[in-house]
Amino acid sequence: MTALKSPIKKPNVASQGGLAGFGRQFRTVMARRTEGRALALLLVVGIIAAIFEPLVFTSYSATLGRIALIGLVALGLAAVILMGELDLSVASTLAVAGVVMASIDSLPLGIAAALLVGLVIGVVNAFFVMGFGINSFIATLGMLFFLRGSAFVLSGEEPVRLTNRDAGIAFGKPLIGPLTPRMLLFILAFIILQVFVTRVRIGREFYAVGGNREAALDAGIPVTRRIFTGFMISGFVAALAGVINTLERTAADPTAGSTVLLASFAAAIIGGVLLTGGRGSIFGTLLGATSLGILQVALTLSGVQVDVQNIVIGLVLLIAVITDPNSLRAVAGSARSFLQRRSRSQAGG
Amino acid sequence: MKRTMRKQLPYKLALLLIGALAFAACGGDGDSDSADGGASGDGDYQVYALLPQGNDQPYGTTYLPPMEAKAKELGIELTITNSQYDADKQASECEVAVAAKPDLIILWPAIGDTVRPCLEAAKDAGIPVTATNSDVNPEDKDLIRGYSGPDTYGQGKASAEIMCDQAGGADIGIIVVNGLTGNSTAINRRDGFVEHVEGNCPNISILAEQPGDWNKDTSQIAASEMITAVGAENIQGVYAADDTMVAGAIDALKSRDIDPSGLIITSIGNTLLGNPLVISGELDGTIFQSSSWDGENAVVLAHDVLTGKDVEADLFMPSVKVTADNAEAADVAPEW
Amino acid sequence: MTNNIAVGTPATNNDLLERNNNILDWLSQSGIFVFTFVLILVASVAIDGFASLANITDVFNRAAPIGIVAVGMTFVVISANYLDLSVVAQVATAAVVLIGMSNEYNIIAAFALAMLIAFAYGLVNGLAVGVFKANAVIVTLATTFIGLGLLRWLTGGSIYFGPPESLIRSFGTTKIGPFPLSMLVLIIMALLLSLVLTRTNFGFLVRSYGSNRDATRLAGVNTALVVIGAFMISSFGAMIGGFVLAAFSNTAVSSMSTGYDFEALAAIIVGGTSVFGGRGSVMRTVLGVVFVSVLTNIMVLSGLGFGYQQMAIGSLIVAAVAIDALARKATAL
Repeated sequence: MTALKSPIKKPNVASQGGLAGFGRQFRTVMARRTEGRALALLLVVGIIAAIFEPLVFTSYSATLGRIALIGLVALGLAAVILMGELDLSVASTLAVAGVVMASIDSLPLGIAAALLVGLVIGVVNAFFVMGFGINSFIATLGMLFFLRGSAFVLSGEEPVRLTNRDAGIAFGKPLIGPLTPRMLLFILAFIILQVFVTRVRIGREFYAVGGNREAALDAGIPVTRRIFTGFMISGFVAALAGVINTLERTAADPTAGSTVLLASFAAAIIGGVLLTGGRGSIFGTLLGATSLGILQVALTLSGVQVDVQNIVIGLVLLIAVITDPNSLRAVAGSARSFLQRRSRSQAGG
Repeated sequence: MKRTMRKQLPYKLALLLIGALAFAACGGDGDSDSADGGASGDGDYQVYALLPQGNDQPYGTTYLPPMEAKAKELGIELTITNSQYDADKQASECEVAVAAKPDLIILWPAIGDTVRPCLEAAKDAGIPVTATNSDVNPEDKDLIRGYSGPDTYGQGKASAEIMCDQAGGADIGIIVVNGLTGNSTAINRRDGFVEHVEGNCPNISILAEQPGDWNKDTSQIAASEMITAVGAENIQGVYAADDTMVAGAIDALKSRDIDPSGLIITSIGNTLLGNPLVISGELDGTIFQSSSWDGENAVVLAHDVLTGKDVEADLFMPSVKVTADNAEAADVAPEW
Repeated sequence: MTNNIAVGTPATNNDLLERNNNILDWLSQSGIFVFTFVLILVASVAIDGFASLANITDVFNRAAPIGIVAVGMTFVVISANYLDLSVVAQVATAAVVLIGMSNEYNIIAAFALAMLIAFAYGLVNGLAVGVFKANAVIVTLATTFIGLGLLRWLTGGSIYFGPPESLIRSFGTTKIGPFPLSMLVLIIMALLLSLVLTRTNFGFLVRSYGSNRDATRLAGVNTALVVIGAFMISSFGAMIGGFVLAAFSNTAVSSMSTGYDFEALAAIIVGGTSVFGGRGSVMRTVLGVVFVSVLTNIMVLSGLGFGYQQMAIGSLIVAAVAIDALARKATAL
């Protein structure tokens, strides 16, 4: 049995093991390939939008705003997914952080508290995953319910207004050129995370943790610490999104984030981040969020009703996931074995 | 062999993706063209309608067609969005709308407390805004040109008035079924009902309240459990925030062999589900909410603003009380 | 055939190994039985009316539709494919088809169309996950978007009411003792699917695929068919769940099943079925559903609002899985 099993595992082991140079090269190739797919989508969406709804580009600040809305949470999520874990609690984290922030009269204190809440949620998630060994999908599902409940309890089931609404309104105004603080923070988050996972050793090790955890451990990577870092990034970024949303809206809403979770997952997946970890990139996630944002804005501008928009987005998602190189290889593989089996049985008969 | 296949894969993938996307996009565009062709007419005016619901909710389903028909009649080209009650999504749609520079924006706030930045952005861009269905906060009123729609707080209050009238000063206990937790219509209707009861008829005491999520099945179970919690003998009345939910509460009473006509039961809506219940005497009173009035007048108000007519600050949908006396009258024929 | 048995043997051995006297292991194996029993016992004594006939019916009314969906979805979870998010779209579609088609044509046509749709969902989800090896979360997320979009686009999103007197209506209102008919449907479905999971070759393959994918494939099993089968059963459960929900309220609207995806999964997990796949049972799911329904019922009876109910469910999920995970660790040591 083991003899049969090893050929399957081999590519992974080779890419993560002692042959670090080859491994890195292999990973870069893989990453580029997934970004290529997101890029193809972006090109198609961009060209179609440019022909039918040029407004998408001429009024780019609105489009950028949508991309930043979808993309910020997706960036944090990508950090966790790279390590082969999931964080379903991001949307509820966003809501709780907003409510905490609005409940505190002092704005700086509120922001600090909200971001701290995000970090703590990340730590708790990681603790469940590493300390107890709970599957992250389930641990964060529990947190999804718990935090959503907390947001309702803390807010008294009603929107909580900021004490300083003027500051919020000022926050929504462009700061540099047409760029609002939201977009600048989004760009900043992208740059930091991109540099972190490509240039910083700790970040680069995320890929190894996601690709083959055993091999990563053998190579001396502190897997537990990396997972804590990943969940803290995801929690922090989700809380940051909650802070930005609350500031821009001048109020925190306990039901916030209802459309965020699924949209940010979609962005990460379209961007080629593999849900089993080890493959994908922050840049790909940016491309995914950008394509999704342009697609949504273009469909909105051309007056396509929401139901049809959802059908289109669902189709794009389905196509994205089944045209994944691994998927196509799986199909090719099973087709080959099917044909082989058939020819063998024919030969036998 | 395997290598070459891998190298070709990206190209094949890209081709496949482009093909599929072009197909999907054409499908979408084709649909929008036909929709535009139907709705635009001459298209004298470009108007964006930022709504938090549409075909995903029963009310939105019957709100949209009269709105679109009226727009066509008045030569308004409507672009409609649906934020599914996500305030952040609606804010982003507002940015898109402002960028598109339409002649006017019709706003149905997803969360009333969150729309001020959107209103200011529209003001800075010189785009007039009218509100529909749910009004903006009082301090934001100067940023909109007018409001048309129901008075959601007033509806809760009117339903409480029926309850108080029917109780006639007797000490009674009631249970309350609210709408979806956190939803602004749910909050306003509850406040209108509860504040009127507390202020004007202290003889009515609210024994328990739970959300029914605007759903009949959720409401039925929640109502039944509240009956268990406070004891059937202590309950002389039921209020639910809409007719769909009150129908669930009535079913809950029936399944316990309690005759609903013996209780004072009120709600809001006068829908296709609620109106027959008023006629049969099970539901004592409801407040007529006309989705067609709401949808049509959103456009009429917009048109009045666009053509420079003087408009009132508030164009309230008449909150007609529907009881056994007038339930069969033509002017309160249910619509949704 | 011999290969199949070889695949199964390590799993059975593991089960035996795990059955030591470790208290955590005992909790993870039998905890849900004990917790459910204790919860019901305490509530019966402490809360007036909890043990009344009418309240027991309420608990069953809460449990039945979500339970029927959950027992079907259990197959997807045991095959280690996380969950089937598209049950939200499927339940709503089945409900709308049942009421809408019965009004327009007749109940036979409604059943036929609903079966066809459930088959299509099972096939698309199963093919994408089983053949294309795509992640089940994303696939079923995509089919939810497409399915709800199509339902709302094609029907205009209307709310459908059944006539006051009809077969569907009488099904929804009939009770045998404290048992609404929907609860009997749940019990029958659970018994049936339990047999499928434990006594058939297909059920065996679902479990072995869940516990060791590669080994099952290498044993020459057509794993694609196993996955498609699991999603088909999930779709079947969602369809029946939709029927029961529609019959209970005699109405159907596309938003009526919001939250069914994660609520069903929560019940499955609380019941003790492992998301690592392979381990779990249909009857555990039923217990999980009953436990969550009893708990929600108690909270409503005590006047606690939506926020607290959600917090309780969240804590429960984490607690249930933490016990399971600690037990695994203890066994492994």
